[in-house]
Amino acid sequence: MTINTLRDVQFGEELPVFDPDTGIDNVRRFCTAAGWLGPRFTDHDAARKEGLPGALVPGIMSQGFLAAMIHRWAPTANITTIDTVFRAPVIVDQQYHINGVVTDIDEEKGQVEIDLTVTNEAGETRVFGTATVLIPTA
Amino acid sequence: MSTQISEQSADHNIEEADIRAAREQFLNVVYDEKEFIFTAEQFADFALACGETAPRYTDPSHPDFQAPPTFPASLHPGKRLPDGYPKFNGLGMDAGKAAAPVRPIRPGETVVGRTHVHDIYTKSGRSGRMVFSLIRMEIFDKANNLLASADTSIVIRERPAQ
Repeated sequence: MTINTLRDVQFGEELPVFDPDTGIDNVRRFCTAAGWLGPRFTDHDAARKEGLPGALVPGIMSQGFLAAMIHRWAPTANITTIDTVFRAPVIVDQQYHINGVVTDIDEEKGQVEIDLTVTNEAGETRVFGTATVLIPTA
Repeated sequence: MSTQISEQSADHNIEEADIRAAREQFLNVVYDEKEFIFTAEQFADFALACGETAPRYTDPSHPDFQAPPTFPASLHPGKRLPDGYPKFNGLGMDAGKAAAPVRPIRPGETVVGRTHVHDIYTKSGRSGRMVFSLIRMEIFDKANNLLASADTSIVIRERPAQ
């Protein structure tokens, strides 16, 4: 269900799961736009030479996935803060799932808090975050 | 005044006195100022690669087109840390990012990022003690209105004593 106003939001509601595109071409597109063109993000072989398991999805891209997920659920939401903790690497060309849950609703302020996680196929959390968003009250 | 890390801490661990001294010297002092100007294509590519669907972030022809909310977290200051910042002994890594958009950042607009150390603190966990440096860049327009702030949390995991 798409959220248009705060009345549509329920405490404890789970946002629709979002599987982001972590393919190498998409990561390179992101890195070009963000100015983060280090080979550890754009080249598996170069990343492995640094001792990494493969090219890394930049942490700021994972953060961008979380923000995108919120707007997919509530297109009119304005993110006022988004705080992200990088617990473990997110690897390019691997499958990840993003989950979110509404943890607080302030009806006076029109404000919602959402907890977000990026997990791998094994169900391990790689990134987690908290966002505060404003959603129109009417 | 320069911050001195004691001989013992440089070889073994970080004293609380070192943290206090670093806080006194570096907190809330702007150590870097850098101008930025962005293109609409940058904003749209950033947003689309992240899977963004809201047209105000993906469509440059949208009347409210602006930087995606997490874009400020991607900006690098000219200097990562202030001159003279203590080199805490340990393994360093990027522990997290936060972004707080306040007003829209528009393409073609010159903005200024001013960076300071916002906090320095320690935490102890199962793997030992960690020192966190929270670096905050605040982004202003030419009229000095705050547009956004972005935090980078750098953590140094203390090496075990020899």
